[in-house]
This record gives sequence, structure tokens and C-alpha cells, in this order.
Amino acid sequence: MYLREPIAPPTDAVSRRRYLRERVAREEAETLLEGKSRELYEANQRLQKLLGTMEQAVRDRTSELEDARVAAESANEAKSAFLASMSHEIRTPLNGILGMAQALDDSGLSDDQAKLVAILGDSGRLLLALINDVLDISKIEAGKLEFEIIPYKLSDLVDGMRHHYQFRAEEKGLSFEAVLSKAAHCSVHTDPVRLQQVVGNLLSNAIKFTESGSVSLSIDLVPHRSGKAVLSLKVRDTGPGIPKSQQLRLFERFNQANTSVTRMHGGTGLGLAISRHICELMGGEVSLRSSLGAGAEFHAKVPVDPAEERAVSVASVTAADAGRNLAGLRVLAAEDNRTNQIVLKHMLKKVGLTLEIVENGSAAVQAWKTGHYDMILMDINMPVMDGLEATRQIREIESRDMLEATPILAVSANAMVHQVAGYLSEGMSGHVAKPISRECLVQAMANALAAEGRWPD
Amino acid sequence: MKGIVFVELIRMAESVMGEEAVDDILDKADLENDGAFSAVGNYPCRELLQIVDAVGAELGAPVEALHKQFGHWMFGRFEDGYPVFFEGKTDGFDMLESIENEVHVEVRKLYPEVELPTFATERLDDGRFKMVYSSERPLQHFCHGLIEACLQHFKHDASIQMTERKDGDKFCAEFVMQKAA
Repeated sequence: MYLREPIAPPTDAVSRRRYLRERVAREEAETLLEGKSRELYEANQRLQKLLGTMEQAVRDRTSELEDARVAAESANEAKSAFLASMSHEIRTPLNGILGMAQALDDSGLSDDQAKLVAILGDSGRLLLALINDVLDISKIEAGKLEFEIIPYKLSDLVDGMRHHYQFRAEEKGLSFEAVLSKAAHCSVHTDPVRLQQVVGNLLSNAIKFTESGSVSLSIDLVPHRSGKAVLSLKVRDTGPGIPKSQQLRLFERFNQANTSVTRMHGGTGLGLAISRHICELMGGEVSLRSSLGAGAEFHAKVPVDPAEERAVSVASVTAADAGRNLAGLRVLAAEDNRTNQIVLKHMLKKVGLTLEIVENGSAAVQAWKTGHYDMILMDINMPVMDGLEATRQIREIESRDMLEATPILAVSANAMVHQVAGYLSEGMSGHVAKPISRECLVQAMANALAAEGRWPD
Repeated sequence: MKGIVFVELIRMAESVMGEEAVDDILDKADLENDGAFSAVGNYPCRELLQIVDAVGAELGAPVEALHKQFGHWMFGRFEDGYPVFFEGKTDGFDMLESIENEVHVEVRKLYPEVELPTFATERLDDGRFKMVYSSERPLQHFCHGLIEACLQHFKHDASIQMTERKDGDKFCAEFVMQKAA
């Protein structure tokens, strides 16, 4: 390498060749730049177009999804409405079946016949329970499950559960225990009907699946700093237990632990799903502790507000007392359905009261004006004049003429919480849901009389 | 104003006056970049007018005629550089009509910032063709040259009637053309 000293660049003159070379280079650069600008522009255009296409695709897809969602929701609503209406329609003839079974039972049957009728009655009640479950789940899905929060004595819950399930458990050879902790000897604000439903479902399942050993219910109340408390309801059994893998599915609707369960034990598989929903809607939960072969413990927890101790449960009269003391009453019933009329007649025959039946609300008002009745049983939906209007008219006359109020019981298949509240605000004294059972009817009649102060001490 | 116009003006001037005379003009003129124009740059229009004026003075030629001649020159440059705009065209009037809707559209793609003149065209009933130039720049004679060159390109024997007018701040010229029967 023979590098020399750097030569200073020429100060003025530039060779022609050099000038042309620079000029060509510049023109080439300009052409190149123009070409690149164009490519950039076109790439940009393509992106814009792509963006437009994508945005349109997203819009299309979103609107398709929205349509699908609306369609699915309306289909689901239609299904729920159908279920609700079918269930309601089925209850009316079921009222006839159950009522007639009771009437047959009362008619002096041979032992064999009585057994057959008992099965008829049991099947009817089971069907009713299933329909009620279906109604409940459709209400839950439609977000229409209502709660009626009132003060409730927890000892009433234990008594009620013992009353309903002790015999069933012992019949199967199981020992049954229902325990109320010391802290739970009080009243709380809750929905007694829904709470009974939850505990009843758990107990009913426990008895159903346990072949030997025991079923127990323990109720406790755990105070919370906030002044609220958590009501703890544990149902334990010594049944076959539930494997971990099946525990989650258990709480989904229409799911039992496995399909052979359905064949062996029947049921809709809705009970646990309903119980779970009820607890969750009340702000609580249901959990399960179990393993195969080691029994199961279902634990429902619901937050409640403690109630004043003096708040007592609704005036209630024992069933035996009730039947005895209704004897000799004069009762007016407004009921347009022939079957229901016969059901009522037979149901009350044994009680020994005098029953007069009219076809509609207007006839009921007329009959009430002329006769002296101790009580009125009022259907709600009737031709000519409905039960609510008839009740209004009777209450109006009573208050105008300063008469003593006649107890009026609503007897209706419309048993939603807000409907019942409506009946009471229209001046009715109580409510019995169809299909009626004699026990409930007699109890409600006795309670209505007691509330009006007509109950003999 | 786009640098290509400056580059071509200088090229044309050099072709008739020689490099040295053009260098003199550029040296004397008051130019922001001392006359170092790039085809892809942007420069003030007044510098173009200044250069044309100086060339006219040097040559003793009317400025309007120089503008017109420059129009011819530029058209030749378009023929060489952008044959795509001429594809499928056999008529000069069609070509002139396409400036607004094809040529300018493409120009804007490359140079979104440019301010372009408008060329409103109209085919008159008697077969004549009207084109109205409107711009913030007084380049109507340059435009005249372009139109003449265009019609020559398509080998039309045509007359061009030019009427100048001012429309507010804008320089306008109406060109009415008629092909010979």
C-alpha cells in the first residue's frame, strides 16, 4: 500500500464527467424516491382497505352475535313461560286428583283399597312436588323468584323439618336427629318458605340416598361483626357418599350424580339446583363435603338479620285442635270449577261444618248478605265477578254498616309472593294455595279465625 | 410548487442559453436555496417567475411567450416520464379532460400537500371544447403551451382561443378549442 498524503479537494472547477455523474445520481435518487412514495401510498391504501374490510367484518359478526343472543334469549324466555304456564295448568286437574283421593280415603275403604288410594295420593303429591320444582326453576331462570322476608323462629324450622322428615327417615330404619344450637334459639329475618324448601330438599335427598345409619340436621347461627349473622344449616348422612369428580355437576339443574341414580331414585334432579339458587339469591351458598363410602355433609349458609325476640311466628293452631274446633261453623265457598267444588265438599265433610258453595263472586256477595257465615273461602279467578272484587264489596258493606269482619280466605293457584300480598291488601284474611290439602286448608281456616279473635280459648 | 417544474425550466433554459448564462441568472436571482432544486422538493412559485423573467430579459423575449414555450417543453417531459397517462387515449380533448380526474388524482397520491390548479372542462354543442384554468399562480400562458403541445401530440389541427380573466385572488383563463374540419 502506498498511501500518500491526502490531497486537498479542488476549490472551484469540477470536471464535466464528475458533474454529469452527480446529476444522474440525483435524478436516479429522485426517481427512486418517487417510486418509494408511490409504493408507500399503495401499501397504505391496501391497509386502509383491509382495515375497512375488517371493521365491516367485525360489525357483521357483532350484529350476527347480537341477533343470535336475542334469538336465544327469546327462545329461553318462551321456554320458561311455557314451563310456567304448563305447570300452572297441570296443577288444576291435579287438585281434582289429590282432592278425590282424599275424599276416597275418607269414604270408609277396606284396608286394601286404602293402600291403593294412599299410593294414588302419594303419586299425586310427588307429581305436584315435581311440578313445583319445574315452576321454581323457571322462575329462577326468568329472574322472577320472589322472597318474602319476615321474622321467623328457627325453632319452628327445626320443628317443621322434624315433623316432615323424622317419620320418613325412621320408616326406612334410619335414625333422625334435628339439633338447634344454643345461639340459634332466636328469630331471624328470612323467607321461611324458601328456607324450608332448601333444608327440605337436603333432608329429602339424604333420606333418599341413605340405606342405613342416620340423617341429621344441625342449625347454628354465627354472629358477624356487621350486626348480621350467618345461618348455618348442615345436613349429614351416612349414605354412599359422592365421589369428588361428580360433586360439581350435582348442583347443576337436571343433573344427578349419574344417570343410574335417576333410574333408582327418580326425581327431576332440580332440587339441589333450586336449593343452590335460593341460597345464592339470598346472598349465601351451599357446599358439599363428601367422599365415596363416607357419607355426605351438605352445608347451606345464608346471611340473615337477627329479629326482635318478641316477634313471634304467625298465630298458629295445632292441626288436631284445628279440625276439632271448626265443627259447626257455617262456611260459604265461591268456586266456579265443578271438580274443585267436589274437592272442597269432601275435604270439609269430615270436619263437620256446614258448607254452602256458590259459582262466582257476585253470588258470594248476595249469599253473604242474606246468610250468616263464619267464614268465606274465595276462589280468585271466577266468571261474572272475581274473588278480589267480591272481597272488596263485602269489606265495604261491613265498614259502612259497622259489621264484624268475616274471615275471607283466598283459595287460589296464583301463589306468587306478590299475588298473595295483593290478596291480603285487598282485605283477605289469608291464603291457601291450590292444589289444596286438607291439612293446609283446615290449618289456614283455624289461623284465620284465630287472627279475627274468633278462636275459642 | 413542485421541484420538477424548476428542474425542467432550468434544463430548457440551458438548452437555449447554455449552462453559463443560466448559472449567471441563478447566481443573480434571489433564491432561497441558491438554485439547487430537486425534482421531489417544493419551492416558492415566485422563484419560478423570477427565473422566467430573468431568462426573458437575457434573451429579449416576451415572458408570456417563454411561459408558453415552457409549457411545450413540460408536455414533452410528461410524454417521456409518464406514458401511463397516455395509454388508451387517442383524442386530445379526452386527454385534457383526464387531467383533473386522473393525473391530479395520481399527483395527490404522491404529494398530498400540493396545491393544484383546477381545470374545468366542457364540451360545447358545436363540437368545441372549453377548458377553464383557475389557480393562485399566474401560469395561464404555461397552461396555454401545455394545451397546444397536447393537441399537437394527438395530431389535431386545432385553434385555441384564450381569454384571460381575474376571479378574486385567482388567475383564470378560458381556452376554447376547435378542431379543423
